[in-house]
Amino acid sequence: MYKKFPGARYIAGGTDVMVKIKNRQLNPPALISLRSIPELSRIEIGETTRIGAMTTVSDLISHPELGSIFPLLVQAAKRLGSPQIRNAGTVGGNLCNCSPCADIALALLVLDARAVLKGSEGSREVPLEEFFIGPGESCLTSSEILTEFLLDKPSPFARTSFMKKGRVKMDLAIASVAALLEMDGNLCKKARLAAGSVAPRPLRLKKVEEMLENAAISKEMINEAQKIAMESVSPITDIRSTESYRRQIVGVYVKRTVQEILEPYQKLLRGVQGGGILEKSPPGRRRQ
Amino acid sequence: MEINFVLNGSEVTAAVEAHQRLIDVLRRPLGHTGTKEGCGEGECGACTVIIDGRAINSCLYPAPEVEGKKVTTIEGLQTIDNKLSIIQQAFVDQGGIQCGFCTPGMIMSTKALLDDNPDPTEEEIRAALVGNLCRCTGYVQIIDAVKSAAGKLKEKQ
Repeated sequence: MYKKFPGARYIAGGTDVMVKIKNRQLNPPALISLRSIPELSRIEIGETTRIGAMTTVSDLISHPELGSIFPLLVQAAKRLGSPQIRNAGTVGGNLCNCSPCADIALALLVLDARAVLKGSEGSREVPLEEFFIGPGESCLTSSEILTEFLLDKPSPFARTSFMKKGRVKMDLAIASVAALLEMDGNLCKKARLAAGSVAPRPLRLKKVEEMLENAAISKEMINEAQKIAMESVSPITDIRSTESYRRQIVGVYVKRTVQEILEPYQKLLRGVQGGGILEKSPPGRRRQ
Repeated sequence: MEINFVLNGSEVTAAVEAHQRLIDVLRRPLGHTGTKEGCGEGECGACTVIIDGRAINSCLYPAPEVEGKKVTTIEGLQTIDNKLSIIQQAFVDQGGIQCGFCTPGMIMSTKALLDDNPDPTEEEIRAALVGNLCRCTGYVQIIDAVKSAAGKLKEKQ
């Protein structure tokens, strides 16, 4: 198809592309719709779970098994847009739009997802982290499409958390954080954190991960993680928020997501260390 | 290109351009002007219609893609004898309408919710209507209208 219509634009759910066409930001000579290709919207659960790129966000949320295996993914999907947007918008579209604020991208990043890209030349698999290049820019070549994501079965010791700050509930994120910690007793075996809306692309917080991995996480370390997170992002000021507020929120959310994951271990840790590592959350309403 | 789909229960054929949005086809060639365009970018929900049982923004939906699908607009809700449907009547009775511009979208989102979940909690109602903005800000009455409609629909069954 692409060869027949050079310069054509692929369209998935249309919730981003249609706006850009209307605002004359895009003016493609042709649109190639991917909506009616059933192979692209399949979900297969197994040792490696495969999620078709054209799965709508609603189908992802309502899938009978996905929520219990990857609660983080469903949690992030629920925070994406409005019901109308979730009914039309797709998982692949959320990623290919390459917005730094993509909610599902954060979840897939911390779950170490791999993206399968297919083109006329064959197919290749890339870690999701290498998929994003900058705002609106992915590693897809013009003749390639994203067909599915691969997710390995998570460890039974992995726990996750997702927090998003929006101006109102359905809005794009001012800043957001997804976190996964794999705990063995009080030792953190694996840490994955990602932040949205605070860099040109959805960002893995590698320095925070390095610090937490293979360590017994203490209260001081969580405070340090907050500091490192604030230093490793490069947010901008725009219509939704300011650079400094976004930096602040990312720090706080890194702290809160880690605290939330560790909450069940708190009792255990108190026994071991003789003191809790978690601070009580401040009184008053906590809005996410 | 020519597309065929089911609009409010009857089969229709329309000539559309590849880049045309569903809302433009509904309003102009098909004359179903009950569906409103507010923001045109999926924020306000005034253009909400139901496609195959799901609420979507018709301002973001490419018209050629409704080929073979079932589309319901606000015009499809009234009863055969031209009376308001239960949901519409509930919006009138509860004062869930002020200027009325957001109402068709609100009602379509309500219908999609109640078809799927006949007994929603207030939280579920608010979550289902989060994509519909009312600039007169009469949200309290709108939520009341949805609750009242849910009750009346249950009574009817």
